[in-house]
Amino acid sequence: MKVDLEQLRELIRLLDEANLTEIEVEHDDDRIRVRRDPAAIVTAVPQSVAPVAAGSTAPGAEAAETEEDAIYVTSPFVGTFYRSPSPDGDAFVDVGDEIVVGQVLCIVEAMKLMNEIEAETAGTVVEVLVENGKPVEYGDRLFRIEAT
Amino acid sequence: MFEKVLIANRGEIALRVIRTCRERGLRTVAVHSEIDADALHTRLADEAICIGPAEAARSYLHIPAIIAAAEITGADAIHPGYGFLSENPEFAETCAQCDLQFIGPLPEQMRQWGDKVSARALAKKLGMQTLEGTELATDVDDAVKKAEALGFPVLLKASGGGGGRGMQVLRSSEEVRASFETARAECAAAFGNDALYFERFLERPRHIEFQILGDRYGNIQVLGERECSIQRRHQKVLEEAPSVALTDEQRSDMSETIRRAMTEAGYLSAGTLEFLLDERGELNFLEMNPRIQVEHPVTELIMGVDLVAEQIRIAEGEALEVPTPPLAPRGHAIECRINAEDPVTFAPSPGVISELHMAGGTGVRIDSGVYGGGRVPPHYDPLIAKIIVHAPTRAQAIAKMRRALSETIIGGIRTNIPLHQRILEHPAFEDGRVSTRFLDDLQG
Repeated sequence: MKVDLEQLRELIRLLDEANLTEIEVEHDDDRIRVRRDPAAIVTAVPQSVAPVAAGSTAPGAEAAETEEDAIYVTSPFVGTFYRSPSPDGDAFVDVGDEIVVGQVLCIVEAMKLMNEIEAETAGTVVEVLVENGKPVEYGDRLFRIEAT
Repeated sequence: MFEKVLIANRGEIALRVIRTCRERGLRTVAVHSEIDADALHTRLADEAICIGPAEAARSYLHIPAIIAAAEITGADAIHPGYGFLSENPEFAETCAQCDLQFIGPLPEQMRQWGDKVSARALAKKLGMQTLEGTELATDVDDAVKKAEALGFPVLLKASGGGGGRGMQVLRSSEEVRASFETARAECAAAFGNDALYFERFLERPRHIEFQILGDRYGNIQVLGERECSIQRRHQKVLEEAPSVALTDEQRSDMSETIRRAMTEAGYLSAGTLEFLLDERGELNFLEMNPRIQVEHPVTELIMGVDLVAEQIRIAEGEALEVPTPPLAPRGHAIECRINAEDPVTFAPSPGVISELHMAGGTGVRIDSGVYGGGRVPPHYDPLIAKIIVHAPTRAQAIAKMRRALSETIIGGIRTNIPLHQRILEHPAFEDGRVSTRFLDDLQG
């Protein structure tokens, strides 16, 4: 069987969108299974590509990618990114800070509303990816976190 | 004057608006969902902002995300296109509160015309003929009584419905008794509104609609009619202008009636009044669509106007220039809606477009939202492109459309092009003998 990359991509997208752990498609004698580690889903990081195994009935056609450990906090809104509660206040978090689940990391302002963005995983802030006061889009990466 | 316009839509209509903006020297902002990150509107606008996931409720229908996108890009106006938020008065109000100019009618006008029962009452008050209809039915017994008084067959309609949803033809009291409660529950679930009423049902009417423009100084311009009788389940498939069913006298009389009525009502921006032409040859007001419509290009071609440019000019506060005598239609235009769907089963056919060649040549206009190698996501409307032709006569327009369809290549997905070819080859269509039942008849 020839591996149809586009079809594979489509399946991976479907997997991601529907938040599934496994999809198997069978057509005539061809079979494709796309699977990912369920643990990768709970981090709710849409950009991270979870481990994917593509196989077919042909032996030895198994490929896998391992995922990096980094977890990204992404923006759930379009708006303006603020690192501190007020212009002259201290930043909510800095590189090297230990964070806990539920801790406020930043503010994304949309329609004059200050939306506090909270950590969904505990860990250490490794990188702040957006400059204070800059606009962010939905899904933009804001922080890189190393999970503990 | 605007400087930057945000287009709160996707697909071909987003491109349509981007084109006019660019010609007018306006900068454009596209908003897109994650799955549309590589969509054509995202790529062709000056700026693009991701506003949410694929699901429309969390992206293209999500008002705070769209307003926030306008804020961070410094847009001063929003064009809603059609569908999505285009007829949502709360969206128009929110735009106003946030100092953004909504390119469309006033919120109260959307409310007035958006509800079908109040729209009919208003049209009647303004001197337009409406199909005989009933008040809202309170329960099954009341429904039977009202349907019987109107005379069968009747059309059961949802006050809050649209696009043909929630409509049913009922031919006897028994059918009313059997269907009423279910229809009510369905409408409550679909529209959050369970108000139902009946209308006289026409077996083979023609769907004819008039395009209007209004400015804030009380000027109303009527830009002729479009015939949209070729429909499947109340969804238009092929449209043309002018309609062969109207005489010049009928056209000018109706235009004058509409001009007077809409001047009295006061109406801002582009809108369309839809009518059913009954067996007596009379136009009965059906509904008013307070927005730009999918089929607006056929009017643009025969009248020589850019309706989106007019919407923008009106929103900028300029006055309409209404010529006297009114503009007369020039030639004949036909539009085929190209949908990503199976031409026989009508099942959606999303996927990757492996190759794309759109028609060209004299008198052919393509309004498309796709490109070769691009994806048609399964989350949205199946309309991917519109092929519009303009020729001196209807026969020439039909020949041109056949030619245009024959050179169109869309690979990787299925489209309804074969259905259009069947319509255009049909003797009844060639003769202009069509009704809203045409496609049902064609498919037996």
